[in-house]
Amino acid sequence: MTELQDTARRLLDEGEVKVVIGWEEGRRGVRPVFVTSAADCDRLVFDTRCVHNLATFLNPRRSQVASLGKAALVVKGCDAKAVAGLLREAQIERDGVVLIGVRCGGVVGSPVAPDAPALTAETVASRCFACDVREPGLVDVLVGDAQPEPPGSGTLDERIAALDALGPDERFAFWTNELSRCTQCYACRQACPLCYCERCIVEKTEPQWIETSPHPRGNFAWHLTRAQHLAGRCVGCGECERACPVGIPLALINRKLQQVVLELYDYTVSDDPAVPAPIGAYATDDTQDFIK
Amino acid sequence: MADFEPRITAFVCNWCTYTGADLAGTSRLHMASNVRIIRLPCTGRIDHMFIVKAFERGADGVIVSGCHPADCHYTAGNYHARRRFGVFRELLSFLGIDPKRVTFSWVSASEGGKWADVVNSTVERVRTMGPFDSYHGLVGAASPADDPFASFETPAGATGDSAAAPASHTGGAS
Amino acid sequence: MSRIGVFVCHCGENIGRTVDCAAVADALREHPGVAHAEDYKYMCSDPGQQLIKKAIADDHLTGVVVCACSPHMHEKTFRRAAEQAGINPFLVEMANVREHCSWIHEDREQATAKAIDIGRTIVEKVKHNKPLETIRIPVTKRALVIGGGIAGIQAALDIADGGHDVVLIEKDASIGGHMSQLSETFPTLDCSQCILTPRMVEAYQHPRIKLHTWSEVEKVDGYIGNFTVTIRKKARSVNEDLCNGCGDCQAACPSRKIASEFDAGLGKRTAIYVPFPQAVPNIPVLDRENCTLFKGRRKGLAKDACGKCKEACLKGAIDYDRDDAFVTEEVGAIVVATGFQLYDIGRDQPEGLKGYGEYGYGEVPDVIDGMQFERLASASGPTGGAMLRPSDGTEPKTVVFVACVGSRDPEKGISYCSKICCMYTAKHTMLYKHKVHDGRTVVFYMDIRAAGKGYDEFSRRAIEEDGAEYIRGRVSRIFRDGEKVKVWGYDTLSNRQVEVEADMVVLATAVRPQPGISELAQKLSVSYDQDGFLNEAHPKLRPVETNTAGVYLAGACQAPRDIPESVAMASATAAKVLGLFSADELERDPSVAKVNERTCIGCFNCERVCPYGAIEHRDVCDVDGHVCGHVAYVNPGVCQGCGTCVAVCPSKSVELANFTDDQIYSEINALAGW
Repeated sequence: MTELQDTARRLLDEGEVKVVIGWEEGRRGVRPVFVTSAADCDRLVFDTRCVHNLATFLNPRRSQVASLGKAALVVKGCDAKAVAGLLREAQIERDGVVLIGVRCGGVVGSPVAPDAPALTAETVASRCFACDVREPGLVDVLVGDAQPEPPGSGTLDERIAALDALGPDERFAFWTNELSRCTQCYACRQACPLCYCERCIVEKTEPQWIETSPHPRGNFAWHLTRAQHLAGRCVGCGECERACPVGIPLALINRKLQQVVLELYDYTVSDDPAVPAPIGAYATDDTQDFIK
Repeated sequence: MADFEPRITAFVCNWCTYTGADLAGTSRLHMASNVRIIRLPCTGRIDHMFIVKAFERGADGVIVSGCHPADCHYTAGNYHARRRFGVFRELLSFLGIDPKRVTFSWVSASEGGKWADVVNSTVERVRTMGPFDSYHGLVGAASPADDPFASFETPAGATGDSAAAPASHTGGAS
Repeated sequence: MSRIGVFVCHCGENIGRTVDCAAVADALREHPGVAHAEDYKYMCSDPGQQLIKKAIADDHLTGVVVCACSPHMHEKTFRRAAEQAGINPFLVEMANVREHCSWIHEDREQATAKAIDIGRTIVEKVKHNKPLETIRIPVTKRALVIGGGIAGIQAALDIADGGHDVVLIEKDASIGGHMSQLSETFPTLDCSQCILTPRMVEAYQHPRIKLHTWSEVEKVDGYIGNFTVTIRKKARSVNEDLCNGCGDCQAACPSRKIASEFDAGLGKRTAIYVPFPQAVPNIPVLDRENCTLFKGRRKGLAKDACGKCKEACLKGAIDYDRDDAFVTEEVGAIVVATGFQLYDIGRDQPEGLKGYGEYGYGEVPDVIDGMQFERLASASGPTGGAMLRPSDGTEPKTVVFVACVGSRDPEKGISYCSKICCMYTAKHTMLYKHKVHDGRTVVFYMDIRAAGKGYDEFSRRAIEEDGAEYIRGRVSRIFRDGEKVKVWGYDTLSNRQVEVEADMVVLATAVRPQPGISELAQKLSVSYDQDGFLNEAHPKLRPVETNTAGVYLAGACQAPRDIPESVAMASATAAKVLGLFSADELERDPSVAKVNERTCIGCFNCERVCPYGAIEHRDVCDVDGHVCGHVAYVNPGVCQGCGTCVAVCPSKSVELANFTDDQIYSEINALAGW
């Protein structure tokens, strides 16, 4: 913690950045904070409640954040992957942000807790299982102690396997049921650092590919499209599911596609921006056993 | 379903499959009449939303067909399509939309016979699977009158108007 | 407000027999937005086209749908007719009710219903068609030819004789290529340099040809009609304007033992050298790798270790301090004529090739390849044309020729046939026999491929007149045994093993593209196959073009090729270039993509997938002129209209003209009312 605060203080003092975006203790738990003065740096915390993916604030279209000036961002490994995605897709320049990486051993499901809960198989967020970036690679500074592997048993993958074991009709019934609650509020889109399109495709009305009416048919089109657009890009931060007000298990869909691109194209989302995303690239010997 | 005639929308590339379908015609290769072709310059142009929209608009099955790898008129469009659809069909399957309703194929300009085969096998497969009532009924409309699409730009009385039209649009009944 | 005209063609009986055309016209007449519908026997005929033109005028049509054959047949016909009637040709579409309907179905009811569906779909599409204007881009009527071998020289001469300027660039010190290394050529056995050098001089002296030798392509920007090519003129150390080709520098050079590339390693040259006496231009080049002075400079010596050539030069043309220079040339077309290299018989092999360890990896000095044999046979070669073997300079009395070394051998990395080896092997046996009358030639072959004009007669001559022994079988091992080179092979026609004690062995090694071809191809955005040969646009119908507009191919860079074919191909390429230059502006199909800069988020997915490199970055500036973002821009001169960018754009900010989302959506929608 002190290391983090000292680093932030130094960056602000030396004028390298104008704002440090990290987490602070709020009234009910941990929340994002924009620290612009060195004196406020001791507000910065990092513990198991630091769930938020702060990379979303690097979206160049968040003009209020951009107007604060050059930022330093505190990133966990998964957050760094999202920053790599933004770099890969020319949304930000590498020298336009300072990345303070924190070594992370996992987070809990919700930032709302008076103290940092201990990580157990029950409390840990399901997305932390098998994390490969406990020490983020895309960083300018790395702080924090080395962390052990998160506890947990891959419940996300187990739930996906259970769904895969069902027949298509049963799965369809499952998803119709889940998606019928969707009101197309787009909180999932707003929370996602990689959903940064200024005019989202769902807002295109000529023609209207995705019906915006919150009925199952429109909701299917919306979620199919969002998942397809994120295929190979989603970093698995889980913010979409956390943001959803009606509790749709979005992480299942995105995690499933992570499994798909790994199996088909040997691709895992990387925090190295030089590694290209799988969709938009191709190999001449890509699998085509589904093609007649 | 003995009298169920599947409705298949086909998205094909202009240079290979469309020309292959032309060749099937020139060779008088008879095939099922359930397929309606939409011509695109390249499979690279085909967006996954076309498939979703086709199902929404009443298709029971979809065909996506283009040039063989390495033969794309535009060099690489089919490679991109192959990746995109490799992922999309897994997504469809995961959400419960049986990927057997979608046929992906490479049909070259000289493969008129293969096109006929793709058409016939797709029609038979979808016929066995039955109409895609579950998707067509997603809005929950009890009858065509409730369906918001019912009054959209359809020719006056089209459902019974043209000579011996196939079975009219089945409404929401799953 | 749409006013579409629908014209249903009977096509004689072709459509009319199976589809009730009148009923189709009736049904479509009722479709919203259709202002006119009729059926007729032959729409493509003159009276048929007149009906369309009349309807356009009388009914003020905003679009035309012809329900007939495939658009591949008559789209142009009807678009022309519409244009003559005064509406934009891109407002005309065809509904394919023949190839895709009447010819493949029997049931009249079903076929008619389907024809109505197809017609309706296209009517809905045409409601969203926009008038498009042919894209016209200016053309710089200058060509760049990369490679100064026989193909490059021929292409350059044809283009120049056709009235346009050519920039010819060659990476070696002289033009001429491999043909200048050959002794005599098949099937006539005329002297290679005798027929080549007049062409070389003609190219050098041609008023429209500008020659850059000892130069390579550094960078290529732009697109068809408008290329900007940066050329690296490598440091020659000799001022080309001052040098008069006297040769005093070469005579003075103390380093005389450098392996000569021109003699395929069999001869020696000096550090400052002209590759061969008939070199064009006759200006030497200094090999800085092997020059004593430059070796000293690299070691950091305070004083230059040599300087004899500069002292000897009376014109003061030697300049040790000149470095690589860059020139830019503006051209409208690029011809790639980089030729070939041979499969290396040595131990060092590039990735993917295995080399021939069983033949000693060429470590036996008397095992040579075809080009080395040419140099031995050549009057200007290291032995003055005498048949003397490399190891001890004696005359070989038995020479074994092994065909298909590397070719047709997927195990070693190359599965194709190199085309020229059967012919030059036969030639080699004859060249040898003409010099060593009592010699013996043995050829191990798989097949004899002699398909050209006079070729079969030529190879039979080798056997029948010059006594070459042809053994059908492969060679399993070649090794040195005392003074001899033992060759172990198999005779499949007599079913026996064969051992030949040879004095010299010539391997007919595979023809491969030049090294560095993949880098050049990437600079030109041209694709190449797994063997490195450059890809033609279509193997049968477009053999001299590539998929990159404005870049053409000539000669062996596309596939193994002999001299007559290389010359023919080069002239064909020149014809394409002259065709391009025949108009001041190039007309291109306007079905290209366009970015909506308002909604583009600058992720450049489109750039990553575009096969033609048509996407550029555009800066977006605020009112004060500061760059605040960037968006994509599609160059309409380069875009070929595939639409891959459209599918991959997450915000749907790019549209493909004539295959817009609106059009496709309306086609899908039209099928809702089946």
